[in-house]
Amino acid sequence: MIGNQLALTVTLAIFGALALSLRGVRERLSSMRVGVVLLAVVASLSTVGVLIGQGLPEASYSERFGPALGRFVVNSGLSSVFVTWYFLLSVWTLTLSVASCTFRRILRLARSVEGGRRAPAAVGSLVTHFSLMLIVAGGLVTALTGFRRVDSRFLGSGDTSHVPEGDFTLEVLEARTEFSEGGKLSEYVSVVRVLEDGESAGIHRIEVNHPLTVNGVGVYQYEMLPSPESVESVLLAVTLNPPEGLGDPFELRAPFREETPIDGTSLSVKALEFLSDFTYDIDAGTAGLRSIWHDNPAVLLQVSAAGERIFERWVFLGPRGHEDDQDLPCRLFLLDYEPDFQNGLTRFEYSRQPGTPILFAGLAALSAGMCAIFWTRMRWRYEG
Amino acid sequence: MNGPDSVFFWTAFGCYLAGTVVASLYAGLRRPRLRTLVLALTGLGFASNTVALVVRAVVSGHLPVTNLYEYLTFFAWAIVAGFLLLWKRRDLSLLTVFAAPVAFAMMVVASLFPARIEQQLIPALQSYWLTIHVTLAVLGEAAFAVAFIASVLHLVASRRGSSTDPRRFDEMTYRAIGVGFPLFTIGALFAGAVWAQRAWGSAWSWDPKETSSLIVWLVYAIYLHARLVRGWRGRGAAILSIVGFALTFFTILGSRILGGLHSYG
Repeated sequence: MIGNQLALTVTLAIFGALALSLRGVRERLSSMRVGVVLLAVVASLSTVGVLIGQGLPEASYSERFGPALGRFVVNSGLSSVFVTWYFLLSVWTLTLSVASCTFRRILRLARSVEGGRRAPAAVGSLVTHFSLMLIVAGGLVTALTGFRRVDSRFLGSGDTSHVPEGDFTLEVLEARTEFSEGGKLSEYVSVVRVLEDGESAGIHRIEVNHPLTVNGVGVYQYEMLPSPESVESVLLAVTLNPPEGLGDPFELRAPFREETPIDGTSLSVKALEFLSDFTYDIDAGTAGLRSIWHDNPAVLLQVSAAGERIFERWVFLGPRGHEDDQDLPCRLFLLDYEPDFQNGLTRFEYSRQPGTPILFAGLAALSAGMCAIFWTRMRWRYEG
Repeated sequence: MNGPDSVFFWTAFGCYLAGTVVASLYAGLRRPRLRTLVLALTGLGFASNTVALVVRAVVSGHLPVTNLYEYLTFFAWAIVAGFLLLWKRRDLSLLTVFAAPVAFAMMVVASLFPARIEQQLIPALQSYWLTIHVTLAVLGEAAFAVAFIASVLHLVASRRGSSTDPRRFDEMTYRAIGVGFPLFTIGALFAGAVWAQRAWGSAWSWDPKETSSLIVWLVYAIYLHARLVRGWRGRGAAILSIVGFALTFFTILGSRILGGLHSYG
């Protein structure tokens, strides 16, 4: 794949160089009119891309635009316009136009220096034009040799993920979400051990805006979920049956895996297990997780009297408590739960962007060139 | 809206509204006293707008640009600041009269969004790049707003054949874009790319807001290219400047409509 891209790039570069070597083509490409048209074409295609939305499922385009137009959007590549041949060709031609314009400016600048004239503003415009080529070059280098992917798995404490692009493995030691004193989300934190050839190469902390770089590969904090198998506490509604009591249900907050007495009785309740998306394997006779999402939360509750276990029940979030057990001393409903953010699941994004330094150099040059043109007393006059 | 800054926000809102009404009267009657009154109201609104932003910054502990309410309030402030810089330029003082209507429009849109003060920023926004990226982008966009008004006045002056020379508005449009374009390039594109690389692992993702900003950049690039290279002026240039500002405004609100990585609030 990369070989094909490289071959195509080299072919286009040779074609471009040949085209620029022809004076007529060069002059045509460097004309202001062609430059403006190419800028307008790139702007128009980008506008279409923004308005249509990119990379959505095919069905969503049919929903938004109707079946025929939706099919057209997908088949014409407008649903991923920024990688279509016509968009890339527009950018490529614009780059050739800028290159030919830059070439002309270099010649003009050389003449003006020979003639002893001041040409600082011309330097600014030359830098600006050259920077655009650097930006495209940086993007091209990244497209050809870089990568960016999101880990397919969420990782909990003890899980590992091998990153073949950097030939290292990450072992998650901690995955937690931090909150401010006011209870607001403040940070996602993953603590990882880097393993190279099976040996520890250090322990690192990864946060949003603070990636880890190993062997040239950036590891970014991408997503964080609370634990699917534990909670901080559960909020229960308890209704007592005779002879323990009668009356309206009352609320009881029970910390996870802690014996919590039910006021006014000899009973106590303990949340033994939690499953964020409960499923039951009939053959094995065991409960388990269907997914890591919180789609069908359930908690296994144990009720004891004077320290002796009376019964255990899986209780689901919502009104589906165990209400069939009239013979038992109480009925329980799971009203809510406090997720366990301290033992969460983390997900990383891996990225290597070798063209970024070139891109940033281009953006820096672009900014400097523009400041030279517009923010100094220099007057830029077109002489061609 | 019960934050400690709200009284100053609404004072600024009221001043800009009154300024808009008086500016309309001035446009019709051309009485010098009305012009003085507009400037006084705009100045008062600006002072109150400034206090609202400072109070919010002190309470929240960070630059108040983390949701659309704050962004637009800051944008209104930057626009008025841009106009007030022209106050002493006698030949351009007419422009200043129209600061209040633009600022008022921004305050109206701002008031449509939740004004909650977030003392704790979400993890993605906890970076000093927030200040650099957003501040420079807003200042650039404010310069585009000045260019927008100058372009509108250019079209009006051209149509009427009035005593006002439309060429000075044309020149002002160019100068404002000349100030805003580098600021926008450094703030929105350069600083944005550096921050995106650090936060998301890629300097460019074709996110709707990124792409919208690129479109704005391309439109003003066309304007400047045509102007600098071929001396393109007049009606067409003014219309392109107006289109550029319309796209700028769409870019500000776009993440709300189109979603993407910039959908923070």
